[in-house]
Amino acid sequence: MSMPPAQGAYTCPYCRTPSDGGGGTCPHCGAPVDVRLRVTDSGWVEQPAIRDLARIRFGRSTCQISGEYVPVAEMGLHDDDWVYFSHHSLLHTDPRVRLDSMPLKGGWKRMRAGLPLIMMRAQGPGHIAFSADEPGETLAVPLQAGWAIDVVEHRFLVATGNIAYQWQNADIWFTTKTGDDEEWHYPVGRTIDRFAAVGGPGLLLLHAPGNTFIRDLGPGEHMLVQPGSLVYKDMSVRMYLHFEYPRGRYWFSSARYQCKTTWLTLTGPGRIAVQSVYERPELAGSVRRSSGATTQQW
Amino acid sequence: MDRIECQWCKAQNEFGRTNCTTCGAPLDVKDKVSDSGWAEAPRLRDMTEFRFANSICQIEGEIVPVAEVALAQGDSVFFEHHVMLWKEPGVPMSALNTGGGMKRTLGGMPHILSIAHGPGRVAFSRDAAGEVVVLPLHPSMELDVREHAFLAGTHSLTYSFVRIKGLANVLHGGGGMYMDRFVTNQEPGLLLLHGYGNVFQKTLQPGETILVEPGGFLYKDSSVTMNTLKQNVKTGLMGGHSMYLAEMTGPGRVGIQSMYVHHGSE
Repeated sequence: MSMPPAQGAYTCPYCRTPSDGGGGTCPHCGAPVDVRLRVTDSGWVEQPAIRDLARIRFGRSTCQISGEYVPVAEMGLHDDDWVYFSHHSLLHTDPRVRLDSMPLKGGWKRMRAGLPLIMMRAQGPGHIAFSADEPGETLAVPLQAGWAIDVVEHRFLVATGNIAYQWQNADIWFTTKTGDDEEWHYPVGRTIDRFAAVGGPGLLLLHAPGNTFIRDLGPGEHMLVQPGSLVYKDMSVRMYLHFEYPRGRYWFSSARYQCKTTWLTLTGPGRIAVQSVYERPELAGSVRRSSGATTQQW
Repeated sequence: MDRIECQWCKAQNEFGRTNCTTCGAPLDVKDKVSDSGWAEAPRLRDMTEFRFANSICQIEGEIVPVAEVALAQGDSVFFEHHVMLWKEPGVPMSALNTGGGMKRTLGGMPHILSIAHGPGRVAFSRDAAGEVVVLPLHPSMELDVREHAFLAGTHSLTYSFVRIKGLANVLHGGGGMYMDRFVTNQEPGLLLLHGYGNVFQKTLQPGETILVEPGGFLYKDSSVTMNTLKQNVKTGLMGGHSMYLAEMTGPGRVGIQSMYVHHGSE
């Protein structure tokens, strides 16, 4: 039996974390609490932009988001708190913040996957700020103890010290053949990052180009999305490729392959988030081999 | 009579105005300053107008804003030719030889700046989302600007360029070999910059230091010194890496942009 909600209790629809709802913004993710949920006719929820200068609390520290085109996440770190980040997202720091490197396994694989080899660690006290290199939205994803999400590579901005970081093969790939050459494609990247809160709640900040939309898929519910648009998903969401081709005869057989659509099928239960700016998959070549995939001709 | 002081440029405005007549900053919006003291550059409202000498500048658009200048007779602006979006056919043009010869070639900077003279209209914009930053310069001010970041300067400004000191600063600073320097003489001038993403400014006290990603540097008062600080990072079996940060020491203003190309590690 579930307990009735406490009087005045508010659960943020964007980060799923309860709070008293008294402030203008959610203290865990910075989303406005006094705006109407904006849901498209098909059920996608538009992630509201974090209001300029909104503060988010974590541990004994704060994170303040400023700017609206390429927002800056400025951490006011307490002595006991630390965060880690990829070094290229650092914008400025005051000299009191102690910077060092965080050991990462799999250097050779990370290099091949185009991932940063260095993860930096910043220990309070002091202020340190981060930003990305494309116009878009900063997403604050508070993770409760035991929660984990999978994040597409290069979307990560910064995370608090109690969020464990792992990466693994995305296992979403296909090959195409042009002449004698076989080319490998990784539509969601060669690897995918997994962030899990251990021992207590933590805060994960992502940056997604363009606008971001989220959706909670029911058990067994499917959704087709452009592979390059995925930002993150709950661990429980499965993903595989889906190819669509036009039917019919064409003067050149390659015409069919050039008109193929490469989708990513996401299957619930769980939350998915997509961004409105994404890299389109290459069209050239016929698909020869792939990870698990379905095919449809229309 | 009551006056309102613009928090961005400190100019005095008539009571009741909603935008500063000198820099266009909204006067009815509270200053936005982060906990650590970085002030957001004022978000100029679409179609905001402000004046310099006898001319008018209007900012249009919000994602990649356009600065449209209606030049009066006797006024002029100078700029790098690639930022000119359009101009009226009758606007007289001339060239400003920057000097520097091979230095500018090596620095990837143009040898000639274009000058548009009034009367007539000319408009400027850059190539990525960001903000137009309006910096009125009072007499005897000196401002150093990241190369290629300036949109236009008014005729009362003197343009020169200064070499970034120190080989490490040039190689690892991410800001190129030179900075543009703008100096005012007896009369005030106006400088328009374009910062990628959002722009923030902090005023450093004498001896106060801040570390900035070199790609994020946009401008500084010439009184602010800039040095490159090397940060060694060990990466286990993969060996060591170095990242470089720009150490800015006051007194003076420092401006940064939130979107940048990272040049920092090797």
